Amino acid sequence: MYARRAAQLLQELSSCEEGQLPPYNGDKFDQVIRECEEHSRQFQSLIRDKDIETKNEDHYGSFIHHLSIIRNKRCLMAYMYKRAEVIQSYRWNVGRVLPREIQDKLNFSEQEYFKNYCSVIDSYMKDLDLDLTVDMVPPKDPYIRVRVLSEIGEVSLGDHAVSLTKDSFHFLRRTDAEPFISQGLMEEFIE
Amino acid sequence: MPDYYDISDILMEDEAVSVVFHVGANGVGLLDPGTETNSVEKGAKIDLPFWLAHELCRRRAVSITIPSCFGQKMKKDVQADAACVDLGTRYPYFYEFGCKLFPLVGDKSMGPFLRHTFASRYKEMLSKSHTASLNAIPKFVLRLSKEEYQLFEAARSSMVEFKKWRVRDLGLMKTTIVGHKRKTDLH
Repeated sequence: MYARRAAQLLQELSSCEEGQLPPYNGDKFDQVIRECEEHSRQFQSLIRDKDIETKNEDHYGSFIHHLSIIRNKRCLMAYMYKRAEVIQSYRWNVGRVLPREIQDKLNFSEQEYFKNYCSVIDSYMKDLDLDLTVDMVPPKDPYIRVRVLSEIGEVSLGDHAVSLTKDSFHFLRRTDAEPFISQGLMEEFIE
Repeated sequence: MPDYYDISDILMEDEAVSVVFHVGANGVGLLDPGTETNSVEKGAKIDLPFWLAHELCRRRAVSITIPSCFGQKMKKDVQADAACVDLGTRYPYFYEFGCKLFPLVGDKSMGPFLRHTFASRYKEMLSKSHTASLNAIPKFVLRLSKEEYQLFEAARSSMVEFKKWRVRDLGLMKTTIVGHKRKTDLH
């Protein structure tokens, strides 16, 4: 009660490393919501039939319950907001497809959020005709040597097609190679 | 200014402070473990989380007593050796909490005390942060409060960037086409 559980939720979130998420704690979230309902019930029973202006004991008790609800709301909102920020960063750092370990940490509506965010970004990039998610760090060289880790097959890059078989080496444009590198299908070959 | 969604601000406001109630309050017996009825008596001394104490104090329902982290013992410890005081484990939100508590308590010496503590600890922190390596965590880092730790990290990462810059590989971009050199006629 009195927002202690909500603070524990936030402790869990802040103890994770930057850019990582703990699994979505649906149980604690629901417990906090039930606590809010309890506070609301107590609040209703204290202000029933009372004159709001008189500052008696019931007034202060109901005020404390009201503050607890507001505090719980703030904690839950901050929890969702922080998780949403990290999910947004996944699109930029990880890519369009999330690996299994990350997907398991999101609940259903967060996965929906990620899909919708990706489609918004994609439609924006289509309007610009520019892929914004490559070259997050300005590269020194537009071309890069890569080694293919898993079989990809025939891919058409620009004006010619390249056959990306396993363990083959290629000299590609950085913008073409980046999507494959971020998915783990290729690696940069550094002498 | 800390914003609504700032998690460290929310966690900071969860710190407990001891308050004395000027009024009674019904229906909130859970706040006071020693009470039998479901209410808090006038004059009761209870530990409340700061967010609750702050709002009630503004409406003059309670008065806040200065917590031990700003009390006489702490002042003596800081006088003796400020850099050795362990803020990281005991009071990680020492400075921010003090800044928020200061207008509510009316203890005029608290502001200068906070500034003096920070200034004394800053000198050692400055020298250690510029020489610390990235992997080893010096023991004194555990003694820093959250705000000091952010400063420490900023200094450490800027030193690492500086070292990287000093030994960087001056890779020259090779041009693929060698153009004709224009002869300039100097008449």
